[in-house]
Amino acid sequence: METLGNFEQLLLFSVLRLGEEAHGVAIREMLEERAGRVASSGAIYTTLSRLEERALVASWMGEPTPGRAGRPRRHYRLEPAGARALMESYRTLEAIAGGQIGKLSELAAGK
Amino acid sequence: MRIPRRSRPRGTLASRFAHWLVRGPDARVIMDDLEELFARDVERGMPQWRARVRYLRNLLGSAYSVSRTRWHRPRAPRLSVLDVKLAVRTLLKHPGVTLVGCFALAIGIPVGLAPFHLLSAINGPLPFDEADRIVAIEYLDVRASDSRSPAVHDYEVWRESLTAFEDLAAVRTTVQNLVLAGDRAEVVRGSEITASAFGILRVRPYVGRMLLEADETPGSVPVVVLGHDLWRTRFGADPEIVGTAVRFGATERTVVGVMPPGFMFPIRDNFWVPLAARAMDYEWRSGPAVKVFGRLRDGVRTDAAQAEVAAVTARTAADHPETDAHLRAEVRPITHVLTGLRADYRTAAPMYAMTLLLLAVTCGNVGTLVLARVASRSEEIAVRSALGASRSHIVMQQFVETLLLAGAAAAIGLGLAQVALRWFDPFLASAPFWFDLGVRPYTIAVAACLAVFSATIAGAVPALKATRRNVYGDLRRAGGSGAALRFGGVTTLLIIAEVAVAVACLSGAVTVAGSAFSEFSVGDDIAADEYLAARIRLPAVGPTDEAAAATADAFSERFGALQEEVSRRLSAEPGVRAVAFATVLPGMDHPVRWIEVEGVHGATSGGVDGHRIRTTRVDVTFFDALEQPMLAGRGFDASDLSAETGGILVNRAFVERVLGGLNPIGRRVRYVQRSDTLASPWLEIVGLVDDLGMNPVDPARGAGIYHPLPPGEAHPVHILVRTGGPPIDFIPRLREILTAVEPALLLDNPSRLDDVFSELRWEARFGGFAFTLVAAIAIVLSAAGLYALMAFTVSQRTREIGVRTALGARPVQIAGVVARRAALQLVAGVVAGAALGAVLVPEMLNDSILATNWPAKVAAIATLMVLIGLLACAGPTLRALAIQPGEALRDGG
Repeated sequence: METLGNFEQLLLFSVLRLGEEAHGVAIREMLEERAGRVASSGAIYTTLSRLEERALVASWMGEPTPGRAGRPRRHYRLEPAGARALMESYRTLEAIAGGQIGKLSELAAGK
Repeated sequence: MRIPRRSRPRGTLASRFAHWLVRGPDARVIMDDLEELFARDVERGMPQWRARVRYLRNLLGSAYSVSRTRWHRPRAPRLSVLDVKLAVRTLLKHPGVTLVGCFALAIGIPVGLAPFHLLSAINGPLPFDEADRIVAIEYLDVRASDSRSPAVHDYEVWRESLTAFEDLAAVRTTVQNLVLAGDRAEVVRGSEITASAFGILRVRPYVGRMLLEADETPGSVPVVVLGHDLWRTRFGADPEIVGTAVRFGATERTVVGVMPPGFMFPIRDNFWVPLAARAMDYEWRSGPAVKVFGRLRDGVRTDAAQAEVAAVTARTAADHPETDAHLRAEVRPITHVLTGLRADYRTAAPMYAMTLLLLAVTCGNVGTLVLARVASRSEEIAVRSALGASRSHIVMQQFVETLLLAGAAAAIGLGLAQVALRWFDPFLASAPFWFDLGVRPYTIAVAACLAVFSATIAGAVPALKATRRNVYGDLRRAGGSGAALRFGGVTTLLIIAEVAVAVACLSGAVTVAGSAFSEFSVGDDIAADEYLAARIRLPAVGPTDEAAAATADAFSERFGALQEEVSRRLSAEPGVRAVAFATVLPGMDHPVRWIEVEGVHGATSGGVDGHRIRTTRVDVTFFDALEQPMLAGRGFDASDLSAETGGILVNRAFVERVLGGLNPIGRRVRYVQRSDTLASPWLEIVGLVDDLGMNPVDPARGAGIYHPLPPGEAHPVHILVRTGGPPIDFIPRLREILTAVEPALLLDNPSRLDDVFSELRWEARFGGFAFTLVAAIAIVLSAAGLYALMAFTVSQRTREIGVRTALGARPVQIAGVVARRAALQLVAGVVAGAALGAVLVPEMLNDSILATNWPAKVAAIATLMVLIGLLACAGPTLRALAIQPGEALRDGG
């Protein structure tokens, strides 16, 4: 089973959430708004490219976009293998972190 | 949505820079995203400056991320067994290029390897325990910019003062007559050495003991330690050798021990006697030169030892400024000091650079052939590329192919070099005992590196050139095979250079080697096979002899007396018909001098106005011994020996070339000096003799002068003995007579007179061989380069040739179009080579007697090279002429 890094998980979840609108700009904004993570476009595309090589995502060029001088965007979608890998990562985290949020909060508060 | 102009980020210069940084398949997408993000930020009300800052940060961050990934850095291609199989198949499929390339690299790689190998051999290591801790101390004479050996005083002072060394020792070479049973004498090489040396080297004797300090005490019994080979071959490995008396020169010594097999320290020494020289016997800075070496104490580094040595010698220099102020003592590798060769990498760097350059040029030419072959496979490469092979993979494949070729060539070259080394066996016999010119792991490692170097230049570089940019798209547009490739300026220059080298080297080879195989003659009327020739010298042994040697007159008198006694005894010997002495004998390479003749103008060379002649000094019996009558005037007599301005004799070639046929008797000559302050006296010509081997290759060019030689005035001196029987059979008797006169007299290189130029002939043959080898490579490569260029041109211009033929062009015109470039390169190379040969050949041969008739040879070689070049071009030219217009136009080339 594929193992995913933290940033990779964030990207895949972003792609999942965005659905058909999962392109570079949107993914970046999703990361910034939801995960508080500021990542460069280069980092996003290079990571997605690696994920695509591992067949976890697939990409295609969309329709020409007026706002980009007529040039299309590159869209991404989650592949079944990527979904399985992401699910596994999520479950692993859940299994080890489940029920620990309260304890974590106290520790974080310094108690 | 149109982004307002004012909203466009103004950092377009940064964008262009970052665009370059993020270059790759998604560079455009990234840049578009950045601009879209900027636009959104501005639309959301973010201040422009802040939006620009975010833009630039994102830009640079993206550039950084991309640069760390594999987007624009090609993945290193992985090699598979299939790639290797393909490489082998390709090499076998193109036997011509493979053989030519293999031949060139099989010579080029060993040539490139030679300096590394030689340096490694010279640098040892010595076969002793912790040999890297053994170093030598030597002076640098800053005035003369040269090394200088220490004297005995230095050894004694250093041994007493230096704490960085466990101990110090001194050694000097000596050559002596070993007198065996029946007064048979033979020359053996050994050393005078201090007893401390054996402790420093950590060696044990094989039999008996080594030298002790007590043996160095004046008045002690003279002793000797024998080398294992000497003990085995001359004393039959006698187990009772210890305690027996053996005569070395005039001294009877007691054998105290035998060293183990292989021990021949410092160079190739066969016996060791105590160092007789002591500082107290000499003035400061006088006395025999010795080599001083020692073992560093544990933990002491060379630089610390150097510092101490410098401090000690600074003190002695302060005490003796007149003799020592310009001397700097240095700690050096012992192998450098023993061999006299500064075999360090810095000194050898120019030699490395030259041989690597030669190898690079050879590889460049092989690369030309590879380039042509790659170009002819462009369709195959295009298909492989379409199937997914990256450019780096294709280049790697070509590199592997050439690496296999270079590897095979290196192995063949090393094998041939090992065989060729046998030619040098006579010279290796006197090489240092630790010298090992055999193939070692280090040699193989360097050869492997050179193979990689060769494969990079000859394989990878042409492949990179052949696959650069979008050559494959160009191919379709151009409609011709390899049409996008060009043989550029570098290739043109390489071919011209190769042709020039071929012509120049072959000219040198023919000039030198031709002399080697011509008849060497010492003179038509001399029965050279009836004379024994040898050299006699008297080594100085011990302080008494050295003191005598220091006074030239005393030594000359002593040696002269010995010479006369030898002559008297030989003349009384039954079977000996004649004895004579000379500084140089007929057939040897006579020294060249410049003279001026009173009343006869000479040529000017090197700023010297005069005649170039050869010279020797001979005793009064010389011409009688050779049965050479005077052709005019008189021979030497006793009055010529003592007169300050004695007469001289000249030979027939002198009369022809210098005097233009004028009568020489009574004319005066004198040696030309470059400085006006040293005018030499005028010498009167009193006699004329025939040409007697002053130039054994071309007697007519051996214009020469004979001076009278009083006994003892030349040391060493050559002796000529005419015997009734085979001269070689007389050698042992000659040694006996010499030993009886003076046991220390040494006889060197005895041989028949008609064999004295064997060294000269060997030189000529070796020189010819070396030239020929380089010329052969150059010829093969240049012919192959021309062929490849022509073949490539024909394939490139097939359609054009078809059109021209269809339009009625004559065969001569077609040939001209196709061959013009190659012909120009050939002619340029031949002209350059002939000019190079005309300058270099006489310059290198200089005064050598081997420089015979070289202009004609250079011209002949140039013509030969033109023919070879035309032959190389013939095949592709004929192919071009056979092109049918219809086929050419249909196939599109």
